Amino acid sequence: MEISMFQAILLGLCACLSSMPGLGGTTFGNYTLGRPLVAGLIVGIILGDIRSGIIIGAAIQVIYIALVTPGGTVSADVRAVSYIGIPLAICAVNSLGLDPATSQAQSMAAALGAAVGTLGTVLFYGTATMNLIWQHIGWKAVEEGNFHRLYMVDMGLPWISHLVCSFLPTVVITMAGAGMVDLMKAYMPMDGIAMKTLFTVGSLLPAVGVAILLKQVVKKSLDFLTFLFGFTLAACLGLNLIASAIIGSFFAVINYKVMMCMNKKPAAAAVDDDDEEDI
Amino acid sequence: MKKLSKKTLNKSFLSWFYGNLTCFSQEHMQTFGYLCAMLPVVEELYDKKEDQKKAMQTYTAFFNTEPQIGSLVVGMTAGMEEAKANGQPIDGDAINGIRAGLMGPLAGIGDSLIVGTLIPILLGIGLGLSADGSPLGAIFYIVVWNLLMWFGMRFAFDKGYSLGGKAVEILVGEQAQAVRDSILMIGTVVIGAVAASWINITTALPLPGGGALQATLDGIFPKMLSAGAVIFCWWLMAKKNISPTAVMGLLVVIAFVGVLIGFFDPGLSY
Repeated sequence: MEISMFQAILLGLCACLSSMPGLGGTTFGNYTLGRPLVAGLIVGIILGDIRSGIIIGAAIQVIYIALVTPGGTVSADVRAVSYIGIPLAICAVNSLGLDPATSQAQSMAAALGAAVGTLGTVLFYGTATMNLIWQHIGWKAVEEGNFHRLYMVDMGLPWISHLVCSFLPTVVITMAGAGMVDLMKAYMPMDGIAMKTLFTVGSLLPAVGVAILLKQVVKKSLDFLTFLFGFTLAACLGLNLIASAIIGSFFAVINYKVMMCMNKKPAAAAVDDDDEEDI
Repeated sequence: MKKLSKKTLNKSFLSWFYGNLTCFSQEHMQTFGYLCAMLPVVEELYDKKEDQKKAMQTYTAFFNTEPQIGSLVVGMTAGMEEAKANGQPIDGDAINGIRAGLMGPLAGIGDSLIVGTLIPILLGIGLGLSADGSPLGAIFYIVVWNLLMWFGMRFAFDKGYSLGGKAVEILVGEQAQAVRDSILMIGTVVIGAVAASWINITTALPLPGGGALQATLDGIFPKMLSAGAVIFCWWLMAKKNISPTAVMGLLVVIAFVGVLIGFFDPGLSY
């Protein structure tokens, strides 16, 4: 399966919009276009095979559903996963004549996605570093009072970073598409150490994302119990996220009431003291 | 009495909604997004260039939080800037103090509630709807997520603006502490459930004398390797102050060694 120049350009544009500091904005770029499930639909439309796109996007989304990027730390690059990994995976599945719905096709897609996502973090650090140049221009503009140049700095110039770090890599790699897949098959066989390692890294990485979140919410070691409580609900009782959220909310209400009682207590004690003095 | 027009507030909100992270760098994450969001506000409130310069200077300070819930802070500072322009006793330092003070707590709430809870739930529903290759799940996610964020962020922005500095009392008082603590509790529970549902670390190591190590581990506590990996990463970052990037590097080494000794084997084939 070949990816034409036109298709590759569309994929490249999506990569510019969807990356972590992406030009589609945080909400619509990173958190919508950058999610592999959504990207599966879009890549499917671009390549003219929506069913394969969705199934493969969903298979890759499963690895990255817990992927979060708080504090500007990226453990896998969504633009690479979504707009390089998914097209390559579709090519690979097609060239092997597999039905995307088979578990073999999906585990291969997941491995390819994880490999590309891990290698793709280079693109993230590249973009962020290149933006330093535009920010430098921005500081000058602030000093001189040329405030309107700020829009250019914030929303215009980063396109150059993305041209270099998102657009070109995506176009080149996806156009080489089928060839790339053959190359990977030849040099990185699925049962070889490299591919196994990359896939294993892909399955370990979401743990970093969750740990970064935990770092924000765990203030005392007792908070760990709350995390393990939720973990146990899903791991042992098999509850899904909505059910867990409801149970969590119930305990949160109790927690709120207890805390409010504790807040009232010192005040009440103070009133008691006053009464005794009066007597 | 100066009052920000509806048009200016819209412009400020749109700048933030779109541009909060577009010019991201590790050094100044959301600073430029913030400058762009405050520019229309400052231009309307101050006529003299010198005053504009002075006001903009306030917002050159580093800013980074969860950008979606952060629209509350942008709205607040618009309200405070308005109060300042009307001669109320607020100065740039006070505004910056509040901004800096809210960044951390709001990031905690936003990351755990929006990124750690809402997104995995929506994606989980989407995956269910798309299981057979139907585009319905992806469309569901696109529509619901964007509507929730558009109206949610607009609500937070307007609320922040109308409360101005008063929002701080609501956000940091005793009752706020209790609310925040409880909200974080929901977030933490769901993050735990997300970890258990979607992190899937298993070992392929056979036990000497038959049987698989994975089955034994599952007998002790299901998915304990996944829980262990999260806690290990947390320990490295929170207790040993190792950067996330270094932790990822370490995971690559662990994966490589694990594959070599046969602890990890994803069972892939072309």
